[in-house]
Amino acid sequence: MTNGSPAPETITLPATLDALAAISQFVATAAEATGLDSRTTWQIQLAVDEAATNIIQYAYPHHTPGDLIMTWATATSAVTITLRDQGCSFDPNNVPPPDLLSPLEERQVGGLGIYLMTRLMNEVRFNFDPQLGNVLTMVKYLQHDEAEQISVLPLHGRLDAQTAPHVNTQAQRLIEAGTRCLIIDLEQVDFISSSGLRILLIIRKELMILGGELRLAALSPRVREVFDLTGFAQVFAIYPSVAAAGPTACDG
Amino acid sequence: MEITHRQFHRVDLLSLSGRLDAASAPQLREAIEHLFHTGHYRIVLDMQHLAHISSAGLRVLTDARKRAREWKITDLEGGDIRLASVPPNIGEVFNLTGMSSLFAIYEDATAAVGSF
Repeated sequence: MTNGSPAPETITLPATLDALAAISQFVATAAEATGLDSRTTWQIQLAVDEAATNIIQYAYPHHTPGDLIMTWATATSAVTITLRDQGCSFDPNNVPPPDLLSPLEERQVGGLGIYLMTRLMNEVRFNFDPQLGNVLTMVKYLQHDEAEQISVLPLHGRLDAQTAPHVNTQAQRLIEAGTRCLIIDLEQVDFISSSGLRILLIIRKELMILGGELRLAALSPRVREVFDLTGFAQVFAIYPSVAAAGPTACDG
Repeated sequence: MEITHRQFHRVDLLSLSGRLDAASAPQLREAIEHLFHTGHYRIVLDMQHLAHISSAGLRVLTDARKRAREWKITDLEGGDIRLASVPPNIGEVFNLTGMSSLFAIYEDATAAVGSF
């Protein structure tokens, strides 16, 4: 079953919470037939569980649950899972990301399910089709290209409250694409504010959770001074140049 | 999910087995609420036989921890939710969501119960 592309397997269930255990079993059976290891299997199980829970809780009115249709398709390099429903339109991209850094008491736990989906799967896409209804497609790559795990992100100008969200978006895209060692090139950055430092801390934490690391390279003297004054020079791995920061230095 | 309850002198131990998902999360929420209502705020959750946890389950854990910690005997002593025997895949979910730094996690139920 690991070679070629067998016909997708499909399961149709009423969209009720009782379906979650059956869906998990469906994933376990399909994963075993595909020859996936146990870690990949539970990652897919959890992502599918979160996706199905959203559909069950939000797609249909509570007293009239409709169907939830799930397919599993295996190709040589990836498993593609779709979940379809005919309920009201739902876009996971509109859910705000969860707050993973603030103290527990201040946290909003919403968005955690979708966060897990995007972390556990390589691609998560949402489409609305007038005929098919809501179609959520999730892809898990079965092999990773190690060379893609190191990336360099060059920044320019000011790293402040205004530009920080954009930097974070760029970093998140690289991380989602498989980057685990990220080198941020600060050579062309002439100003960094506390918001800039904060976003670097967030990116660093994200990478560390995934077993990766953040490296900062080529800080100008003015930017370096901010790191020294705030004590962040001790927190970050700082290199004199991009060449010194890797890519070979990232192997460890 | 199955929940078994053992009461110790100062601590309540809930052993969870099966799946802690959106379907079973209310069951755990109720079991913990019941303990809170009877004045029991020192709770250990034994996860040795827990096969699966989703964000609905995580939400119950964080809500319960917040409630438990509001109960204080002194500044240093009070309620808490502590975890024991966390399986590797569930530990990875805690890491991904930043929850491993929020909960005290113990090797086994004995160590967790003894920690109070």
